[in-house]
Amino acid sequence: MTYPAIELRGVVRSYPGEPPIQALAGVDITIDSGEIVAIVGPSGSGKSTLLNVMGTLDRATEGSVLIDGIDTRSLSERQLCGLRATKLGFVFQSFHLLESSRIIDNVANGLIYQGIDHRERNRRALQALDHVGLGDRANTKPPKLSGGQRQRVAIARAIVSEPSLILADEPTGNLDTRTSDDVLALLADLNERIGATIAIITHDSEVAARAPRCIHVRDGLIYQPTAQGSAIS
Amino acid sequence: MSTRTTPAVGRSQLRFRDRIWTGLGGLGSRPARTLLTALGIAIGIASMVAVVGISASSKADILAELDELGTNLLQVRPGSSFIGESSKLPPDANVMLGAIPTVESTSGIAEVNADVNRSIHDETPNGVKALTTDGSLDDALQLETASGRFIDENTQDLPVVVLGAVAAERLAIDSIEGGPTVAIAGRVFQVIGIMKSHPLHPDLDRSVFLGHNYAQTELGIDANHTAIYLRVQPTLLEATRPLLARTANPVDPNEVEVSRPSDALEAQAKVDQNLQNLLLALGGVALLVGGVGIANIMVIAVIERRSEIGLRRALGATRGHIRSQFVIEAAALSTLGGTLGVALGVTATWVYANNQGWTVAVPSEALAAGVAVALVIGALAGLYPAAKAARLDPADAVRPTG
Repeated sequence: MTYPAIELRGVVRSYPGEPPIQALAGVDITIDSGEIVAIVGPSGSGKSTLLNVMGTLDRATEGSVLIDGIDTRSLSERQLCGLRATKLGFVFQSFHLLESSRIIDNVANGLIYQGIDHRERNRRALQALDHVGLGDRANTKPPKLSGGQRQRVAIARAIVSEPSLILADEPTGNLDTRTSDDVLALLADLNERIGATIAIITHDSEVAARAPRCIHVRDGLIYQPTAQGSAIS
Repeated sequence: MSTRTTPAVGRSQLRFRDRIWTGLGGLGSRPARTLLTALGIAIGIASMVAVVGISASSKADILAELDELGTNLLQVRPGSSFIGESSKLPPDANVMLGAIPTVESTSGIAEVNADVNRSIHDETPNGVKALTTDGSLDDALQLETASGRFIDENTQDLPVVVLGAVAAERLAIDSIEGGPTVAIAGRVFQVIGIMKSHPLHPDLDRSVFLGHNYAQTELGIDANHTAIYLRVQPTLLEATRPLLARTANPVDPNEVEVSRPSDALEAQAKVDQNLQNLLLALGGVALLVGGVGIANIMVIAVIERRSEIGLRRALGATRGHIRSQFVIEAAALSTLGGTLGVALGVTATWVYANNQGWTVAVPSEALAAGVAVALVIGALAGLYPAAKAARLDPADAVRPTG
């Protein structure tokens, strides 16, 4: 049977303090395989914490997170790393490319912690670069690329391991409007062409509006905005 | 809770080769910093290799001298009497010593209290002194002639001399061709040989040798030797040595000094050893400072590369992978310095030894140890920064700073 790409059930993330701060106050989200979803909320809404919990970079205080049917609560630290290596792809606002490594090596790094050998990594990295339209720039280094191209490289790195879920954290936050459109179009295209499951976390409602499905976060909770877009939970 | 089975999770693993390359990757991205940091270690290792190399070369030189001198050579000289007056060896000491079965050969010298000049009218002081010899001093001390031959039994009783290398130079005689002569105590002697220079016996280089018998009968010097050289059977040397004083002077054995010239060289080698240890310790301090420098730079690198660490964690790296990456980077940085240091140290040794006229002898263990020590120091220096890197919270590390 196939599982949802990710399933959050009653996820609470609180930080110790007097009183404890609840960044997530009981969140349920299910994203099915092959979906493209925007998770939108203003800063301070808890969407960064949500991203961390979804990406297993942070653990939920309560509730469970299942990725491709695997309950992450039952996993050891080491197993979580394995899960990230195989089931999750990340795209960051500031790209996080290694400036002195060639583009193909940057992309191949998406496979390095699976213990895949060098040649196979490069083969698959080249394929991923083709998917994002940078197949001919494989030997260039990041300083020679524009912001949009950098984000394409980062996207190639995220898809190279064919993860169950790609988490894109403000992927257009550092890009101008036109380049943003290109990057969002690329994500939509990858969703369509290779069936990548993508969650775009953003504060930008314009970006969110382009996704077929939109999850709104405020004060650590999911809510449905009223027709006017005002948020009263 | 649901009862559905949990699918297997892929393991996070990093191939050995990738582990190494990942560690080396950080070095290439900042070449200038890499080189400067490695320099600290390089200086420490270079100084240690140079110390070991120079002292080994010097020791090789001393050992070569020892070899030439032979360890079975003993010297018997008159000491001082109980009340501090200088004493003399009995006239027949030479013969008595020669009678000891384990003594292979003896030869004595005695100083002639007279100037040596180019002619009887020449009175220029030149520091050349005359020494009498009997037996085969050339064999005992392994002296060689540059031209002509040494005094032997046939020439013992004749007015002939052999010149030491420096003496010949001072008397302006460079060959025995044409029968050059010198004057000693108003008498003329024919030069029948000129010695090679013997760096081990500089006083002999400045001397002119004549037969002991001739000097005794014709110049009227007394028969006492001022020094007797013995070659002793090497295996029985220690047994023979205590007998010498009593044999040379049965009446006052305390007034005889027995020494082994090779002891002085061995002592010199030992002094070198002490100095070497001191310098090695100093090199060790330099190395320690270099290690602290590496630790320092690595701490900075960890702070600067926070986002890379976060990225790697997001890509599936374990804490262990991050830790090993930075330990390997530190070790590689230090090994680079160590290799550089070994090269520098060998060069320094080569230059110094050539300057001193020694043969270059750097023990290969020192080369291997230099690189190995650097590697270990680097790995140790990397431990703390690497642990810091591994402890970073991945969720924090991926967040853009500022």
